[in-house]
Amino acid sequence: MRYASLFWEYIKNYAKTRLTYRADFWVEVLSDLLFQGMNLIFILIVFQHTSALGGWSEAEVVFVYGFFMIPYGVFSTFFSIWNFSERYIVKGEMDRVLTRPAHSLYQVLLENVDPPSLIGSFVGAIIMALSWGQLDLTFQVMDVLVLLLLILGAVLIYAGLYTALSAISFYSDAPTGIVPLMYNIQNYGRYPVNIYNKIIRFVLTWLLPFAFVGVIPASYFLEKKADDLSQLALLTPVMGIVVFSLGLWFWNHGVKRYRGAGS
Amino acid sequence: MLAIDVKDLRKQFNVQKNREGLSGALKDLFKREYNEVTAVKDISFQIPQGEICGYIGENGAGKSTTIKMLTGILVPTSGELKVNGYVPFKDREKFVNGIGVVFGQRSQLWWDIGVIESFQLLRKVYRVSEADFRKRLNELVERLQLGDLLNRPVRKLSLGQRMRCELVASLLHNPSILFLDEPTIGLDIVVKTEIRDFLMQMNREQGTTILLTTHDLQDIEALCSRVIMLDDGRIIYDGGLDDLKNRWSKGREIQFQFAGQTQLAKLRQLTESLDVTWTMENEVTAQMWLPHTVNVSDALSCVVGGVQIRDIKIIETNTDDIVRSIYSSGSASVAKETV
Amino acid sequence: MMSAYLDFIRIRFIMMLAYRVNYYSGIIIYAINIGAYYFLWQAIYGDKEILAGFTLIQMTTYVAVSWMARAFYFNNLDREIANEIRDGSVSVQLIRPYSYLFVKMMQGFGEGLFRMLLFMIPGMIIVCLIFPVTLPTDPTTWLIYLVMLFFSFLINSQINILTGLFAFFVENNEGMMRMKRVMVDLFSGVVVPIAFFPGWLSAIMQWLPFQAITYLPSSVFTGRTPSSEVLHVFGIQVLWFIGLLIPIWLIWRAARRRLFVQGG
Repeated sequence: MRYASLFWEYIKNYAKTRLTYRADFWVEVLSDLLFQGMNLIFILIVFQHTSALGGWSEAEVVFVYGFFMIPYGVFSTFFSIWNFSERYIVKGEMDRVLTRPAHSLYQVLLENVDPPSLIGSFVGAIIMALSWGQLDLTFQVMDVLVLLLLILGAVLIYAGLYTALSAISFYSDAPTGIVPLMYNIQNYGRYPVNIYNKIIRFVLTWLLPFAFVGVIPASYFLEKKADDLSQLALLTPVMGIVVFSLGLWFWNHGVKRYRGAGS
Repeated sequence: MLAIDVKDLRKQFNVQKNREGLSGALKDLFKREYNEVTAVKDISFQIPQGEICGYIGENGAGKSTTIKMLTGILVPTSGELKVNGYVPFKDREKFVNGIGVVFGQRSQLWWDIGVIESFQLLRKVYRVSEADFRKRLNELVERLQLGDLLNRPVRKLSLGQRMRCELVASLLHNPSILFLDEPTIGLDIVVKTEIRDFLMQMNREQGTTILLTTHDLQDIEALCSRVIMLDDGRIIYDGGLDDLKNRWSKGREIQFQFAGQTQLAKLRQLTESLDVTWTMENEVTAQMWLPHTVNVSDALSCVVGGVQIRDIKIIETNTDDIVRSIYSSGSASVAKETV
Repeated sequence: MMSAYLDFIRIRFIMMLAYRVNYYSGIIIYAINIGAYYFLWQAIYGDKEILAGFTLIQMTTYVAVSWMARAFYFNNLDREIANEIRDGSVSVQLIRPYSYLFVKMMQGFGEGLFRMLLFMIPGMIIVCLIFPVTLPTDPTTWLIYLVMLFFSFLINSQINILTGLFAFFVENNEGMMRMKRVMVDLFSGVVVPIAFFPGWLSAIMQWLPFQAITYLPSSVFTGRTPSSEVLHVFGIQVLWFIGLLIPIWLIWRAARRRLFVQGG
């Protein structure tokens, strides 16, 4: 309850800060959307030269992409901590966070909320809805509930992974450069993982489970394939809880190792 | 009850060794070596409630590391630590409700929005009721004269204004202990005095315990009844400020200006019975150095009878000089002998 | 003076060596990237022999070479510059007796050199062992490629500098930098060769500098560009390098004026 009211307070402050720089707001929304658009362009280009990718049609791959955008938008809104290492560890702002009575991760996240990213989720939902129609998929009320559950699971997976990645800064004060590089890897979970060889498939499913934020949960709604990924779909929330717990544990453990900036 | 109770507190850091040059850096890439650095070496002290204690030492002596351990930011390597009845790093979220922290070099306010918005947020973070918050804020605003600053964004404030706001921010939840890490750094003398007065008053009226680190010894003289001095991670002095002066200042100096030419031998002869030393600056000026064992009036009366004096100046060694000489003597062992 | 600039290269090189986690994570991530794209392309080819004039082997070589080249020319100059502008340290840099942008370029080069020697070369050897890659045998191709790779670095750094300098004019250019990164990856041809783009898009690409970063050098290296056209292709790179100097110079001039008026 208290955390909810804190959340509201931070959002209000965010809004006030943002209103000071109105022009930037739109630049950011636009670039966010273009960013998503680029990835979509890749899919469209590829399907100009082939009709199927590992047995998946263009509409299906676009559907997966649409699904992916929803949890990704939610995640980007609340986990916009790309500069965590620089701002909180190198410049030592973690000191201030740690002298306040609320969980440190929660404070860091709230100080960096980025609501414009949510627009990506809406665009994703539209893309998904369009492909849904194009693919002639059936629609039941249950689907909405499952969809929400899968999105929640996917957000948790993302959240857990990036919490853990940010927490690396507690252990190594030098810049790790991992977060920007992750940008590419996360893309691969959006393509049918059966096209990869065993190692990469294993990595994307169980180690850096980006397959669980894209292709696996989305396959729940699609026609069954020979290599049936949708069996794993309902595992998404479980994976979410496991990954997020691990990420949080890693963070909490890291905070104990925090050594502050300079003296 | 003790506000702060520290026993054998130690903090070690692993600092990576950087080997020199290109080949060294290449070696580091594959096999890294670490140095263990002990920033705080088994220190113990206790601070009762309501005390204002100054924590001083040279840069790198371990002051900030100690403060960070006391406030729950860093986890100690070993030793016992109780602040306000809590072990800071264990019950961090509960513990920090009872303390206020100001880092002079770092802001805890939101940069782009009005100061009052930051305060409102902190009210929520610390769970202060609206009524308490108003009352407290009004008091603080009045005493620190912040009235018209509250709606300005922090980036538009001067350093002095900002620092006063930082103080308010750290006190909104009425903490019983206040930690100040160089609170007056970079401020002009007027603001410094204002802040000192404010802290004094708060300590008097509400019994707030204050622990402050500073490089400005005037802060210490104005505020602290007690000083803890740190050197190379060890406490080399813990006691009253007056004691520190008495024990470590070697004595006083009296400057004489004589009416006519005076011989050094003559002066020496006059003060034969006393343990003082003379130095001549020129024919009409001389300095007499006398240790604490010698009374100023005794020394003066010896001189006054023998020569014509035009002017006298008594110079008490100031705290700055004392502390400087302790720092430069450097080693804890020298200091310990004196104590 | 020149030796001071060279020292910036050396210092950045040594600095990169100090970031151990960065080094190891980079190797793993590039390995995954190349691997993932290899399989992605394999799936795209299915049982087709040739797509947009590329055989699968040519495509694999193209992917491997392009990612390795990216390791060399990639840098975060945009972010560094934007951060220095935002925290005001750029004004400190300006009182030093050197050209700020040139120093940045040198630091970027130090970083690139580090990745080339400790990353690209060992990485390339591993890639050749794992994936079916064919490298050119003609030493002149290698030589031309290296020169072109250097220009890739120059042009990419110029784009980064331009993006970074925008921090002078907007409070937050995070979104812009993110967008730039995606645009460079997609339009330079690392992710998809430009030959695969639909006609209208590749026509637009002809007029943008991105192709000069990856597509042109990688095409020369994989032998897709006939040797008679190599000079022409290299000319495009040089033209872009010179052409991009103008907006940088203009923005830098405007930025400095702004800095003097507003203060850091």
